[in-house]
Amino acid sequence: MLCEKCGIREANIRYTEVYNGVKTEHNLCSQCAREMDLGAYSAILEGEFPLGKLLSSLLGVTDSTAAQQPQTEVVCPTCRTTYGEFIKNSCFGCADCYHVFDPLIREKIRKLQGNAAHTGKHPRIRRGSGAGAEVTRTGQLELSREEQLNQLKRQLAAALEEENYEEAALLRDRIRALKGEEKHDEVV
Amino acid sequence: MTKWFEEVKNDPSNIVSSRVRLSRNWEEYRFPSRLDGEEARMMISRLKREFRDLPDRDGRDYEYRDLDSMEQLDRTALRERRLLSQTLAKKKTPGGILCSEDERVSMVLNADDHIRLQVLEPGLALEECYARADRLDDYINEKIPYAFSEKYGYLTSYPTNVGTGMKASVIVHLPSMAASRRFGELLGDMGRFGTTVRGVYGRGTENFGDLYEIVNQKTLGVTEQEILDLVSNVAGQLSAQERQIREKSLEKNRLMREDEAYKSYGILRYARRLSLKEALTYLSHVWAGIADGLLKPAGPVSMYALMIGSQPANLQKLSSRPLNKAELETARGEFLRNSLPPLEEGDAR
Repeated sequence: MLCEKCGIREANIRYTEVYNGVKTEHNLCSQCAREMDLGAYSAILEGEFPLGKLLSSLLGVTDSTAAQQPQTEVVCPTCRTTYGEFIKNSCFGCADCYHVFDPLIREKIRKLQGNAAHTGKHPRIRRGSGAGAEVTRTGQLELSREEQLNQLKRQLAAALEEENYEEAALLRDRIRALKGEEKHDEVV
Repeated sequence: MTKWFEEVKNDPSNIVSSRVRLSRNWEEYRFPSRLDGEEARMMISRLKREFRDLPDRDGRDYEYRDLDSMEQLDRTALRERRLLSQTLAKKKTPGGILCSEDERVSMVLNADDHIRLQVLEPGLALEECYARADRLDDYINEKIPYAFSEKYGYLTSYPTNVGTGMKASVIVHLPSMAASRRFGELLGDMGRFGTTVRGVYGRGTENFGDLYEIVNQKTLGVTEQEILDLVSNVAGQLSAQERQIREKSLEKNRLMREDEAYKSYGILRYARRLSLKEALTYLSHVWAGIADGLLKPAGPVSMYALMIGSQPANLQKLSSRPLNKAELETARGEFLRNSLPPLEEGDAR
């Protein structure tokens, strides 16, 4: 089969693209494929396969036109990282990038992580107070009640945002139960 | 001081080690990719100063080493002992590593993120690793305010780490499962549970030593506990399946298993030259043999420590001069001959 782009050389690369569930196939020669910029896949043609490039494809760049979109012009005022650079390297330059690029990356991060809201630990500076997590003698990890409560509350907020009401109701009950225990402890 | 990996047992659980890694950044500085050399050096020296009381707080000795002035061989040796990642071992920008004597706890400074805290333990001990990492995380946080957002959690250079900033992983030894034809398929399937499974040694699809590492994919929208449970669970299931296959193979093909274990033991105990692939393959057979009670070494030995010791840079470090490939294979043979204990009296025949 001849290359569908130049029509001269033999096609030796089959590039299958699945976009929004629609599958398209291209048969290319290695030279045309290299010139086409297949995002992350160009790396394979160059004989290398860095993770960064693989991520970029997941984060956004699927063809070279993306570089010309106006979004590229968004620049983080703190570290001067442009949106285009972020997409290219999948790497933020500073903490402020997250706020600056937030409207552009929200969906991409959701796609990458399956979720867009943090539910885990929050920084706690607790001079002199007890630890938030301890391992019991049986090797079980035990979080302090306060930390458990905070985590449950964050999980509840995330469930509500996702409109997962069943999960939210379960979480609400667990929060109530935990708070009930707390009151009971105080009485005792 | 014994290193943590020398304590890895050759027991029937097939679980080698657990690791928790937390990525954190100092609010005050831009992320490492946007720091110039001077700023980076300044930040590292400030961090070093802040962490001076770490040995008192953690109750063990720590050693600090600059990465930019470190020889390539030493960096590679650290990578082989899982203290640096592949990319970090090659990085040329200012950086440092603060490491406890037993290498259980380490902090890499100014790599992908300002601080990468790592806690390693032999066996299945993710909860212990996390409890410890959590305490150290609070200790660090007392010194420096973290880059954190309510929405995205701990902010990291790469969006693949944002949120908890946590990667939890467990290494399992899966010689029998890896030999089955559908193993590749099974590894691919692990993605559906939100974990990645990758070979520890070897290139591409080839794996030497049958060690596999299970690690969580997601870091955002999951709690630390959920990550620990997920990875422990998948590791536990893989280990249980391996054990089942091994028990069956002992019932059905005991002679074959014995032959494989003794043959491999014989080679390791007497060979004069060994390639890395050979060494890891035979070590894996002997490991399975000891775990299944087929071989009884007369003294304590950690097969995992022997796998690490057989790696090129760690072997090279034992020698006072640079070794070429053939000399390295000779050194490997010698190292294993000397490290592998004899079998219990009466067991050898």
